[in-house]
Amino acid sequence: MNVKKSVVNFIDTRLGIRDILEQNLTKYLLPRNVNVWYTLGAVLLTLFMIQFATGILLLIHYVPNPAEAFQSVEKIMNEVPFGWLLRTLHAVGANIIVIALLLHMLSVMFMASYKRPRELTWLSGFIILNLTFVLCLTGYLLPWSQLSFWATTVATDAAGAIPVIGDDLVRFLRGGSMVNEDTLGRFFALHVMGIPLLLGLLIGFHLFCVRRVGVSTPPFGPDYLPRELPDHFEHEEHHGGIPFFPNYVIKDTAVIFFFLAFFLAIVFFAQNLFFPESAFEPADPFVTPPGIKPEWYFLWAYQTLKIFPSELIGLGVQGAFMTFLALLPFIDRGTERRPFKRPLFMTCFVLGILLFVAISIWGHYS
Amino acid sequence: MTTHVPPPERRKFLYIILGSVGAAFTALAVWPIWRYLLPGEKTGEDAKIPIARVDIQLGKAHFFNFRGQPAVVLQPSPGQFIAFSAVCTHLGCIIQWQPEKGEFLCPCHAGRFGTDGRVLGGPPPKPLDSLPATVVGDQVLVG
Repeated sequence: MNVKKSVVNFIDTRLGIRDILEQNLTKYLLPRNVNVWYTLGAVLLTLFMIQFATGILLLIHYVPNPAEAFQSVEKIMNEVPFGWLLRTLHAVGANIIVIALLLHMLSVMFMASYKRPRELTWLSGFIILNLTFVLCLTGYLLPWSQLSFWATTVATDAAGAIPVIGDDLVRFLRGGSMVNEDTLGRFFALHVMGIPLLLGLLIGFHLFCVRRVGVSTPPFGPDYLPRELPDHFEHEEHHGGIPFFPNYVIKDTAVIFFFLAFFLAIVFFAQNLFFPESAFEPADPFVTPPGIKPEWYFLWAYQTLKIFPSELIGLGVQGAFMTFLALLPFIDRGTERRPFKRPLFMTCFVLGILLFVAISIWGHYS
Repeated sequence: MTTHVPPPERRKFLYIILGSVGAAFTALAVWPIWRYLLPGEKTGEDAKIPIARVDIQLGKAHFFNFRGQPAVVLQPSPGQFIAFSAVCTHLGCIIQWQPEKGEFLCPCHAGRFGTDGRVLGGPPPKPLDSLPATVVGDQVLVG
């Protein structure tokens, strides 16, 4: 008996590992017509792992103190061997994650996979998206550059438009009236520990929901018919489907490699794509650089605040839109999932994407 | 041998006691955490900030740190000093002095303020916060 087999036997005798692997890999069947959009979850899991690993490595040299933060990032970029690579992977990776998250959300909306019984999967995914935005915002301040400082000032200031508690909320977020060393302390703690812990738990819950309820059947092809749902819990089985391993894992891996190629192409050939000039100047609380803009994924929110005559109305519109998205499965309750049999939803879906892009471009050039 | 099973009332009583103690401990823990997270009261909150008169030239703006916030003091006419918070009332960016126009400009969204702090144009919803400035000898005291 070889060593590998005896190790597996040793573990299997004690934990029944073969049975678990069989149930979740080779005997776990997915729909035969499962498409490339279903792989975005695995892509995101890989990207989050890269962020986690590069984040830990950056912590070795980063100093969370206004007097030293910028210099420590400069040291990582210019002196520490391969520090530039890890920092660029981390910074660019955050943007790629947002792209993958948005694509994942849009594909779930297009195929109406959020509908009953997957409301909790959708809701946990929506919270993951928002927590990722908070993770991006808190991480943005850490290099303590002009860009970090002023983007954080503008972002936290928006909370001041909330009636009654607005000013206190801004002070609480910043740990003072202005962005200062207390803000850096708070954002650092949230970025490296608070949010990753919460995000880890939520990703675990999201995966549990996916596995427990079963992968949804793509609503395409002549054989697809809306499924009648029972009142009790039922795992969606796919008899005659393809096994998760090895068939589907190969598909997952191919798309992961595609994303990694795109990611690394930016890291190596366009690494300043997400770094404007103000990212290379240390923070100066007395000088706001001209044309300060938030990251591309916050431009829609930034521009919305400017479109309306009062910030409060702008915040209200944003809040209403985000609440609508969060509660989508509870609002859109029909059983029909085929995109072309949902003309009203599809019209709103396409117009919504166009509006998001147009407002973001407007925000960029305004 | 038979195992003695305690009556359900005892278990219910234990649940209530443990639940209450747990809730009390949670409540006790929340207060110190809340206080820990609240922004601290800075010492010297009421102190006046002295600025040498020679640093404030006629028709020019002098930026300084006022209790942790950027502020600006002007001398629009000889011997007259006025001070404002330099934080734009729109989204919190720092205003810049435009000497050729004699007004302040916010670089974020082009908000404009006059030398009396009034909004001249752009999105700021209210004037700049005014700060009291008094002349004492060769110093201007702000605050």
